[in-house]
Amino acid sequence: MAHITINQYLQQVLEAIDTRDGVFCAELLSFKHPHVANPRLQLSSPEDKCQQVLEPPYDEMVAAHLRCTYAVANHDFVEAYKCQTVVVQSFLKAFQAHKEENWALPVMFAVTLDLRVFANNAEQQLQKKGKGKVGDMLEKAAEQLMSCFRVCASDNRAGIDDSKKWGMLFLINQLFKIYFKINKLHLCKPLIRAIDSSNLKDDYSMAQRVTYKYYVGRKAMFDSNFKLAEEYLSFSFQHSHRSCQRNKRLILIYLLPVKMLLGHMPTTQLLKKYDLMQFTDVTKAVSEGNLLLLNEALAKHETFFIRCGIFLILEKLKIITYRNLFKKVYLLLKTHQLPLDAFLVALKMMQVEEVDIDEVQCILANLIYMGHIKGYISHQHQKLVVSKQNPFPPLSSVS
Amino acid sequence: MNRSAASRPRPHSRKAGGRRREEHCKTEEKADDVAPRGTCTTMCPISEVRQREAQNRLHHFEVLAGTERNRLPRADVCRAVKEYSRPAAGKDTTRASELRPPDVLLKTVCYLVDDVAACPSRQPWTEVYSFVFDRLRSVRQDMVIQRVSGPECASVLERTVRFLLYASYRLCGQPLRLYDPHINDTHLQESLSWLLECYSEGQHQHQDEFQALSLLYNLGSPRALQHALELPHKVRHSSPVQLALALNRAYMERNPVRLLRLAQRLDFLQACALHRHLLSCRRDLLLLYSHGHSSRNCRFPIQKLADILSLECSLAAQLCQTHGIHVNGDYVVFSKGSFTESPSEELQCAHMHKLVDDKQQDLSLSNIIHGIA
Repeated sequence: MAHITINQYLQQVLEAIDTRDGVFCAELLSFKHPHVANPRLQLSSPEDKCQQVLEPPYDEMVAAHLRCTYAVANHDFVEAYKCQTVVVQSFLKAFQAHKEENWALPVMFAVTLDLRVFANNAEQQLQKKGKGKVGDMLEKAAEQLMSCFRVCASDNRAGIDDSKKWGMLFLINQLFKIYFKINKLHLCKPLIRAIDSSNLKDDYSMAQRVTYKYYVGRKAMFDSNFKLAEEYLSFSFQHSHRSCQRNKRLILIYLLPVKMLLGHMPTTQLLKKYDLMQFTDVTKAVSEGNLLLLNEALAKHETFFIRCGIFLILEKLKIITYRNLFKKVYLLLKTHQLPLDAFLVALKMMQVEEVDIDEVQCILANLIYMGHIKGYISHQHQKLVVSKQNPFPPLSSVS
Repeated sequence: MNRSAASRPRPHSRKAGGRRREEHCKTEEKADDVAPRGTCTTMCPISEVRQREAQNRLHHFEVLAGTERNRLPRADVCRAVKEYSRPAAGKDTTRASELRPPDVLLKTVCYLVDDVAACPSRQPWTEVYSFVFDRLRSVRQDMVIQRVSGPECASVLERTVRFLLYASYRLCGQPLRLYDPHINDTHLQESLSWLLECYSEGQHQHQDEFQALSLLYNLGSPRALQHALELPHKVRHSSPVQLALALNRAYMERNPVRLLRLAQRLDFLQACALHRHLLSCRRDLLLLYSHGHSSRNCRFPIQKLADILSLECSLAAQLCQTHGIHVNGDYVVFSKGSFTESPSEELQCAHMHKLVDDKQQDLSLSNIIHGIA
């Protein structure tokens, strides 16, 4: 866009509002649009100009937006965040007054997205100066988003086409981003419930649904609900746009451990394609029942796994690794009555610390309890007696 | 925003920073950020002492010797401690004369530990608990209002956490009106997470100890574990944290044999922290064995089982029976069909305290709470 003057800009905003052109209006208030780099619009006190052209509360909103461009141009994100808060607040005033119409939803998407981004930047800026508590800014931004959410969710009067409820999923996704970042996953629960009970849930845009399922899938994973996590993350993976390699990789970071826990191992090809070679040794170790390699692989890529928050989930793969190791013992000995000592030897080979026959019994008992082994332990004979048929049922049939 | 900040009287502000005034972002922080500083030098503000005297609301731990039988007993100023009072609308909690500065707070805590909690003549201990619990709560309240942080805050919280951990063990099994485990837990979690937050800045002598206690008290909690994984290398690889992590791993792999074995290595306070999980851990073991050893001909020696459970034989047998497991003389017969969740509270956790009890030996309570091993 050419470097238009402030008056031209304000005329455009006025026109967008008058014609209820949400998309155009959103552009004029979004930091994704090039006008924010226009020095003629970066003003520290544009209030009077705005008041001359626009009605309240739009004048307030646009003035705050222009002050925000000024702050961003000065790399002052704390100030930018404050301005953007005013933008969202005045937008909300206008939005609430729009009875039975939702043309302004694109504007809400634009201003709330920028709010979250600036809260993030502001927080980083404060951290560098050693000020402020981690998560404070983001938490405040979340409150703002919640007030928008309330307006959308409570719009029960309008017909389906004009409903503000179409804004819910976008806001929820923004809130998820914050809650995951500040580690307050429990706050997601009421939002998930709101979507679960909504009749629009399958009609939101695919992009929004992909993001939503990605976060809900991750949450399910942390709640140890692996089946649900697999379902949601798989949906997300299959439906994200083919051009979004980066997003697909992000999804895989969580989908892979879940799939592995359920017995599906990724191919090397897949890992290569998405640059996730950190998982190769883990996959190999689990399939081979190689506990030693598993521990090494976890230790080697510890930083990466911890940062992604999947280290604990990957540790759960140990149980499957025990199963695969013990299956090998069974295949080697070719009998249905297996001496417990044989398992002890196997564990010691894998350098499991201070393991003894009592622990072997406990590990076996757990595998039997979980359904990974069909059989029983005879303490008198110190043997594991396994079923003649299918003593190690396939993993996918178990969990 | 700038204007309101400037109009506020700020006694210590220096005029010199004229140029700094022009910077944008500096003004908003201190605007509402002047924490009150207490000036009260006694454990209890004089106004509260007088008021509670007049209202006859002194705890008998606070009464001046010789005046107990008076119509209105007098307070012993060396023993009266500010009580917790709920914040309410219209109440000014920030009056300097009623707030104790950090050093007085720490002294108050030491008094509560040495002269109340650990004093053998104060009986019964449930009453000691309720007194100390309340007064520690008011100490934390004073810290919140004054926004105390740093080493003094950590010292207070460390003692608070140790006290509450010890109490959770010692009072286990007491009737609900004397000891409510849920309330104790709420306060313990709150103090613990505050303490761990304190640790995120600066160096702290006891950090390893409390990171480990948090892991043990919150055994198997993904949150606590993720926090531990993100600790600085030195803390995470310290021996108490490593041991606590090993116990958590055993828990996650559902290996109660290893877990109970590792529990033997814990010190007394660590065992107190783990104690609330012991019963369910033993239950897990019986559940797994009921499935793993489920065969009509199988017999499992009770002595062996008792060893694994870290219980005496008679208690092991009793525990089996409450879970529907058949005990036949010196043997147990496991069967996956007969295992039941124990519905009755017949066999209380408190009867199985030996694992923890044995570790106290001759440690005195005040040394335990001050962390002098």
